[in-house]
Amino acid sequence: MTLLELKDVCFSYHSKDAETTAVDNVSFTVDEGEFVGIIGPSGCGKTTILNLLAGIYSPASGTILLNGKKVSESTSKIGLMPQRDQLFPWRTIESNVLLGPEVLGKRNRETKKYALLLLRKYGLGDFIKKYPSELSGGMRQRSALIRTLVLKPDILLLDEPFSALDFQTRIVVCDDVHSIIKQEKKTAVIVSHDINECVSLCDKIIVLTKRPAHVLEIIRIDLNKTMSPLKRRESQAFPEYFKKIWKLLEDKNERSTTKISEKT
Amino acid sequence: MSEAQRKYLKKRKIRIVITHLFRICLLAAFIGGWELIARYNVVDPFIISSPSRIVRIIGTLDRSGELNKHVIASLYETIAGFLIATAAGSVFAIILWWSDLLRDVLEPYIITLNSLPKIALGPIIIVWMGIGKPAIIFMAVLICIIITIISMLSGFCSVDKEKIMLLKSMHANKFKILTKLILPANIPTLISVLKINVGLSWVGSIIGEYLSSREGLGYLIVYGSQIFQLDLVMASTVILCVLAGGMYAAVAILEKIVRKKFGQ
Ligand SMILES: Nc1ncnc2c1ncn2[C@@H]1O[C@H](COP(=O)(O)OP(=O)(O)OP(=O)(O)O)[C@@H](O)[C@H]1O
Ligand SMILES: [Mg+2]
Repeated sequence: MTLLELKDVCFSYHSKDAETTAVDNVSFTVDEGEFVGIIGPSGCGKTTILNLLAGIYSPASGTILLNGKKVSESTSKIGLMPQRDQLFPWRTIESNVLLGPEVLGKRNRETKKYALLLLRKYGLGDFIKKYPSELSGGMRQRSALIRTLVLKPDILLLDEPFSALDFQTRIVVCDDVHSIIKQEKKTAVIVSHDINECVSLCDKIIVLTKRPAHVLEIIRIDLNKTMSPLKRRESQAFPEYFKKIWKLLEDKNERSTTKISEKT
Repeated sequence: MSEAQRKYLKKRKIRIVITHLFRICLLAAFIGGWELIARYNVVDPFIISSPSRIVRIIGTLDRSGELNKHVIASLYETIAGFLIATAAGSVFAIILWWSDLLRDVLEPYIITLNSLPKIALGPIIIVWMGIGKPAIIFMAVLICIIITIISMLSGFCSVDKEKIMLLKSMHANKFKILTKLILPANIPTLISVLKINVGLSWVGSIIGEYLSSREGLGYLIVYGSQIFQLDLVMASTVILCVLAGGMYAAVAILEKIVRKKFGQ
């Protein structure tokens, strides 16, 4: 079943000096339970797309439908995990994780119980009273993920969730996050500019051009869905997908030209 | 603990002791030198007074109950100005953060007021408010408030945009963004503003007293210089040093408590 649908979405940033078109006619769909990757060069508009999906910005033209309704009108919930964990340093992990319910005025015994359950389940039980500065990068990332899960979102939007981690931690945390999302049976859209990561995590990858982002190609990844990302990296078809996406990004980078329509 | 760490700690301890020792010696040398110069008439003590004369006059003031009166008057004006300016300045900064239109409209005026030497407004204040405590407190407020507004506002505006996005994705309204993010994130800004305001509020109250008053340390200083009682001038200055240092120490303690509470 289609959970999320983008149709010809365009978006520009306006400032005094220029109009920056960040998203140009982007269309794709996300099915329920699917893991969708968005990949593209730095600064192409990936974060912008996520912010559009989260309803923080409205598209200049085109439509975004969540469960068949506009994002602003939909009752389905979206959980955004921003680039870098953005935990609040003055709050304990527990209190950070309960930020969402607090903002929505739903901080009560039930949400607290659920938050603690998730924290314990995913190995943060001993750290609930600690401050973010006392945690490792991987633990902070997990905390940030739990902060979004506490809101019981129908769809998770992850913005380069692993970019702040070193290579080895990255692979481990990637496995962690993947298994948490699968266990909680969530749909996820994940932004990355690491091809390996994307292929190992996702069922479908949207490859974007340089800014303004438009869809270059949508690639289905037919690797075993039940395997962990680390295992999937070892499967035979893996290098093929890598090569294909690499080629796409490379070709496009040579050909594409960046458009900045100057205001006159 | 390793040998090297022990050595390091020991070295550190010695260094701290030495620092304190030098501080005390410096003060003792200053006071002793001053006393000797005055006692042996190297410079006329009528002009430079002397530590023993200062102690004597403080004793006399204390016995007559004058000391209390003047100290309390100055402290009252300074602390009132300090608190009013910090509170009102912060509220004003919140209002300006809330409305960017108002911010743009008022910007040139705030900048002008900031560069204006507030002391120039002294005579006007006296004409408007008469001689007395309100005028002096107003002077102190005037000197502190503009820099409070500017510092707090720039702190508010430099909060990480991504954190704001995160809250927006949780459907936080502007009020929630203010209370959950902007204000707690700026506790360190507030502390540094407090530190600046300790100094500035003393400037305000003493200048106010110079201009118009019948009591307070500023009054004593002016009065003492008019009747060529340098002992009185020096004694008041010394008391002023102690009071201002004490107030700064109080803010430093507050800072420590806050830092502990927020785990930073
Ligand atoms: N608030 C803004 N105002 C103006 N331009 C912006 C704004 N935010 C982003 N842009 C521009 O829009 C383009 C896309 O930004 P976006 O953050 O979506 O890129 P990205 O693909 O997420 O990049 P990265 O890989 O570096 O995270 C960039 O060129 C950026 O300069
Ligand atoms: Mg980005």
